[in-house]
Amino acid sequence: MIRYPYSSRNVFDMKKRMYVLMKLALLCPIIIIGRLFYIQTFRHEEYSSKAERTIYDYLAQDRLRGKILDVNGRILAESVRTHSCGISKRYVKDKDKTIAFLAETLEMPAEQIKKKWQKAPKFFFVAKKIKPDTYMKLANIMRTSLGQGLELTPEYERLHPYGSSALDIIGASNSKNKGLSGVEQMFNEELSQDISRKRAKRVRGGDIIYDRNLKEKTKIANVYLTIDEVAQYHAEQALAKAVEDLQPEHAIALVQEPKTGNIIAAASYPVKDGQSLAFQFTYEPGSTFKTIAVASAIDAGVITPETSIDMDGRNWHLGPGVTIRDKQHNKDALTVPEVMQLSSNIGAGKIALMLGPKKLFSYIKSFGFGTKTDVNFNGESRGSVPSYNAWTKVDNATKGYGYGIAITPVQLISAYSAIANDGVLMEPHLIDRIEYPNGKIDKKAKPVQIRRVLSKNTADAMKKILQSVVEEGSGKRARITGYQVAGKTGTAEKLNQEGGYAKRKHVASFCGFVPVSDPQFTILIVLDNPAKYSFGGTAAAPIFKQIAQPLLALKGVAPDKEIP
Amino acid sequence: MKKLIGLLALCAFFFLITFIHVAINRSGRNVSRLQRSVEIKEARNQYLELEILRLSGPQIVIPYAKEHLGLIESEPHKIVVLGKQER
Repeated sequence: MIRYPYSSRNVFDMKKRMYVLMKLALLCPIIIIGRLFYIQTFRHEEYSSKAERTIYDYLAQDRLRGKILDVNGRILAESVRTHSCGISKRYVKDKDKTIAFLAETLEMPAEQIKKKWQKAPKFFFVAKKIKPDTYMKLANIMRTSLGQGLELTPEYERLHPYGSSALDIIGASNSKNKGLSGVEQMFNEELSQDISRKRAKRVRGGDIIYDRNLKEKTKIANVYLTIDEVAQYHAEQALAKAVEDLQPEHAIALVQEPKTGNIIAAASYPVKDGQSLAFQFTYEPGSTFKTIAVASAIDAGVITPETSIDMDGRNWHLGPGVTIRDKQHNKDALTVPEVMQLSSNIGAGKIALMLGPKKLFSYIKSFGFGTKTDVNFNGESRGSVPSYNAWTKVDNATKGYGYGIAITPVQLISAYSAIANDGVLMEPHLIDRIEYPNGKIDKKAKPVQIRRVLSKNTADAMKKILQSVVEEGSGKRARITGYQVAGKTGTAEKLNQEGGYAKRKHVASFCGFVPVSDPQFTILIVLDNPAKYSFGGTAAAPIFKQIAQPLLALKGVAPDKEIP
Repeated sequence: MKKLIGLLALCAFFFLITFIHVAINRSGRNVSRLQRSVEIKEARNQYLELEILRLSGPQIVIPYAKEHLGLIESEPHKIVVLGKQER
């Protein structure tokens, strides 16, 4: 007979069985509690920092960014929350089905996704900047087997409703809403705010919760430019047509209000994010600089508009081996307006010598050349004005017609605006105001007088001289029916690699203002090395007219000249 | 028997806590889903507003008006601006 260790009475003793069961049931929680105690007590730091890092990494995407607008409040750049879609290969259950679904949803060829799949070892992004409707479709399948392995990462897309318009000024920002170039970078601090730490709050008990409703407490600002989008459009259109016709290496169209210094349009070619040639391009201005030399000489009392300049038979031997020739006229002497109308290098050179190096240098600096403007655009150049101590006679004379000096477009337009503004140089502005969410407005574009460069009489005389250039001289193609236009053409040869001047490489330009009786716009056109040889008067002056006409119409500027 | 009742009561208590947690999590998920949905709709709205801006911008309107409506840009001296002083 077999004897069991427990009697049948013992085996079926309910009380004992319950006791054993209870012990077994309690064992599991005790083990779990023990493990939790170990983790909480001994590995607390490690795990909590790991968790926080994960949360903050995710929330780091939460960098809000303000808008960039034109002077009239048209949105030029705005951030929109979007997502990127990635795939973690090892979690995907059915590769073919997932790829087919993504190809259909994201409207991209399946082959393209397959290629990415083959190249990536573990993870790859299928598409970025996914639009909200597509995101919804993807988000809906995330919890199904089809969505296994898909990852939707939040990011921002910076949208520019007017396309590439003013993009060289606006600049770029990345998908994390950080400014990289242009105004986006210049005002990154004002435009953006990292709110991840604000949104992630630690509640009692140590948990981190994510609060999405903090938008109203942010302090991101909106930046208003002085740029007028419609003026910018006309400048870009005129420049695009010139680029198509003449194929220059670079082209610039800049429009400024002479009385305030506000830049209302700045178009560059080629367009690169945050690289505005209006501030960064340096060049020898050539004949457009004669205006500066002549204005300085009149202001210093060295010459008057009636002064006659001897042309030395149109072959002026300036020094050993240096002869300046005027081929465009056959006169023995020119008055100052004629020097400008015919763009005489001999005349401008002689006037510069009459003024002398010290005074000419002083006026050049006074006009703001060789100094960065207060716009302080990223990468803005100061140009180059060598000190007069080192000038030879030849240097002195050539400065008079814009050689041996490097300037930026914004410096030249500000100098012409000073003449238009009765001799007072104004601070150029690109930023109109910064508006903060609490209602505070930081007005940046207050008209600021830098200094008086010329007397009012000199400015008036120069206006007449420059007007005569357009009416009778090289700038005839800038004439606008019903308006008095003043300006100066320029065709400057470019330096070649050997240090001399290249005959076939040149810069064609025109700078002027309109209407002369009450100047509203100063416009500068620069065409750097057009493929088809062209002059400032034939290539740049018509662009001035193309830009000025719609601007005069838009602003409702009344004509100041009798209409024939 | 008393221990058994105590054990059952303990189980019921833990079950209740678990149930409450599940309920909270579920409603939390719902709130989160709704918030996400609002965000997406806001983003879609923003896209549409920017699209309206794009379509009403001079880059689109002027060429369209020239091509389809025969717009001729007037020369500035032919424009008479009334009430400019008031503006």
